[in-house]
Amino acid sequence: MMRHAFKLFHVWVWGSTLLLLAATGTVIGFLLVRGWAGIGRELVFGETPVLAALMLQRPVFDGLFPAMVGTLALVLLSVGMALPVGLATGIYLAEYATGRLYSLLSLFFDILAGMPSIVVGLFGFSITIFLHHRFSGKIYPCLFISALSLAVLVLPYLIRTTQAALEAIPADLRLIGPSLGATRFQNIFHVLVPHSLKSILSGILLAIGRCAEDTAVIMLTGVVVSAGIPKSIWGNFEALPFYIYYISAQYADADELTRGYGAAIILLLLCAFLFGIAFWLQRRLSQRWFERV
Amino acid sequence: MLYKSLKTLVILSFLISLLFFVSMPASLADPLAAFEGMKGEIKISGGTAHIPVMKAAAKAIMTANPEVRISIAGGGSGVGIKQVGEGLVDIGNSGRQPTEGEVSKYGLKMFKWAIDGVAVVAHPQNGVKALTESQLKEIFSGKISNWQRIGGPDKAINLYTRDAASGTREVFWTKALGKGEIFDKANVVVSNGAMKAAISNDPYGIGYVSVGHIDDSVSAVALDGVAPTMERVVSGDYPVARGLFSNTKGDPGPLAQAFLDFLFSPVGQAIVRDRGFIPVK
Amino acid sequence: MTRSEFLTKYGFMAAAIISAAVPLAIFIFMALLGYPILTSGRLFGTLLGAWDPIHQSYGILPMIIGTFILAILAVAAAFPVCLGCAALVSDAAPGPVGRFLHGVVRMMTGIPTVVYGFVGIFLLVPLIREAFGGGSGFSLLTAALMLALLVSPTMILLFCDSFGRVTHTYRQAAAALGATTAQQFLFVVLPQARNGILAGVLLGLGRALGDTLIALMLAGNAVAFPDHVFDSARTLTAHIALIIAADFDSPEFRTLFLCGLTLYVLTTLLVLGVRLTMRLPGRRP
Repeated sequence: MMRHAFKLFHVWVWGSTLLLLAATGTVIGFLLVRGWAGIGRELVFGETPVLAALMLQRPVFDGLFPAMVGTLALVLLSVGMALPVGLATGIYLAEYATGRLYSLLSLFFDILAGMPSIVVGLFGFSITIFLHHRFSGKIYPCLFISALSLAVLVLPYLIRTTQAALEAIPADLRLIGPSLGATRFQNIFHVLVPHSLKSILSGILLAIGRCAEDTAVIMLTGVVVSAGIPKSIWGNFEALPFYIYYISAQYADADELTRGYGAAIILLLLCAFLFGIAFWLQRRLSQRWFERV
Repeated sequence: MLYKSLKTLVILSFLISLLFFVSMPASLADPLAAFEGMKGEIKISGGTAHIPVMKAAAKAIMTANPEVRISIAGGGSGVGIKQVGEGLVDIGNSGRQPTEGEVSKYGLKMFKWAIDGVAVVAHPQNGVKALTESQLKEIFSGKISNWQRIGGPDKAINLYTRDAASGTREVFWTKALGKGEIFDKANVVVSNGAMKAAISNDPYGIGYVSVGHIDDSVSAVALDGVAPTMERVVSGDYPVARGLFSNTKGDPGPLAQAFLDFLFSPVGQAIVRDRGFIPVK
Repeated sequence: MTRSEFLTKYGFMAAAIISAAVPLAIFIFMALLGYPILTSGRLFGTLLGAWDPIHQSYGILPMIIGTFILAILAVAAAFPVCLGCAALVSDAAPGPVGRFLHGVVRMMTGIPTVVYGFVGIFLLVPLIREAFGGGSGFSLLTAALMLALLVSPTMILLFCDSFGRVTHTYRQAAAALGATTAQQFLFVVLPQARNGILAGVLLGLGRALGDTLIALMLAGNAVAFPDHVFDSARTLTAHIALIIAADFDSPEFRTLFLCGLTLYVLTTLLVLGVRLTMRLPGRRP
């Protein structure tokens, strides 16, 4: 009886794992099988010559190029905004904050990390409408607002990775600087931060991935169906994940649907690439510590 | 002599016609010329039936003048009217005429550039091709829930509807259902495009969509014996008709004006016809 | 303390204050904008009524219920699979296989939500429609299955972490007594990792509650109270995405903030729950 029960255990653990892998494999395989044939120059640039499109001389219609540029701009802007604040907060949390303050701040960042992205989007949207009413009719939902909202969304990721990286530094290394007469400030900037750069970098990559894939925030704060390449941060823009969402519900013909599959594959590859590098960095890092010990 | 005067006549008429072309307003010769030297952004949102025409117009204009940027969003007629009224977009589209309350509240100016209808649609393989008004009311209120009762297969009817911001829903609800109930268990989709895609994928689905959007992927259902074709909409036989509007808050700015002029130009109206709607000119 | 050092310290502090102010600001802003409803005496009507704007009824109860059912369904479907998978990854599989699987699970966290939704529409919806005749295929069940896949990696990684924290000597003791891997896992690791497992479930719930795209794309968005899992339903998140209103004076706009507040409070409670379980003393075998 017992023996059967434990055989069942192995069936369960292997069965669960295989089920999960099969489900994930089906999702990815389905996309690749249906969409792979559509991957090509035309998917990205439509009928516009590649060079003219890249030089922004001619607008691209019926291609993913504007959405890809939109996503790129969005990612750069939002990570650019969140990075200084996130790093500084992470350093403060790891190196300065203590006791009550430490746990209070941690609680706030946990709440922020758990917040649904649509709530952040609603916040960004309503702030914009509020400002539009009260201050200037020239404030609309736009690329800048989307980037700002996304920055809020990824802030806790940056804080957490920075903090965790700094706190993981062994005490002996932490004390070398001060023992040689370095100030706390010098120690942070010349020893601790450089030392945790790789794991901070992996946090940044995860934040980029989060910015690139999030749809709920941008659909309330300025993404549109068609806008072309963003020319300023105060205008509307297109983005890959929103494009995928839009096409999935309302493709007009087989061509559009093919582009939807193509967009999904591109976004998937982009995220896989970012996450892959991030994990590779983290693994190399943990190995290095492991060898040190 | 005769030859000579003929020659003079030809030259004269040539010169006159040349003069005529040169002196003609640019917008009449080439509606895209009106955008020459202009730059900036036109923000458009609202009605989703409008989107194919908006996209085609934007493509023509932005190809001719890359300095002009046109951004297009959906949301539905209610969203279009509110957003243009609140000054969030330059042009707010609606698939229904804005109410008097809306016009006076926001100071809207309406531009009706196409005529459209709203048709009941089902999957092409669905045998049910015609319904009476009372059958339709019972289907959408959930009283008839199986295709068998209206001559189809023994399958549950999957209802699809639109959200409250939709002008298509408003027109359908008023003119086809006589403001009757719409079952609250119906699936809700976000646009005309989404309705068409949903119905074309669901063999047992029924919904309603802009007549201009109908193609082979869905089959239009005749209502009380009248098929919802553009001809029957124009002739007034098919009752569920409506205009497609673009609205601005007060008088449109120069860019928005040029865009609207383009929609009403022969080229713009050809796009309207090409996308399945009835031009107003 | 030198001047520059003083400045840096307060620079860091300012950043921390800004960061901490963000979740507070979101809460305050939502509360302010939703305030008229809270005080209008229509709060309970709005919280507990049905959504029927044509008849001036702006209740969000169907969406609250839809949110709960969907999240619980998704986590319930994911839980046994995730626990089994975590057991294999951290315990039962030989070293390299376990490490490989761990890597795969971590990569799975990177699959975009919208991709799950996209595949759901074209693969799972027709499948559900055909397999369970009747219904359009857009249903709570469809969304829950995809959502289960979405929350799985998060749950598995947390489970693995909590298994990894189980004191090694206990396991060795059990092994010395002749316990098989299965026995060690079931009688030593699982009871000790109880709090971590609870934390994983709560985090999974939070992730499921807060997701917008899968519910919006797959659950059907009907405004009625769902009766069973094949019914079309709408979540709070999808509701916010569907009702884009731009005017302050419409009741629709106000109720959005009630939706936002509800989501905020729910996820905050879950975060508090996770922190609490992490602090609970583990049970000693």
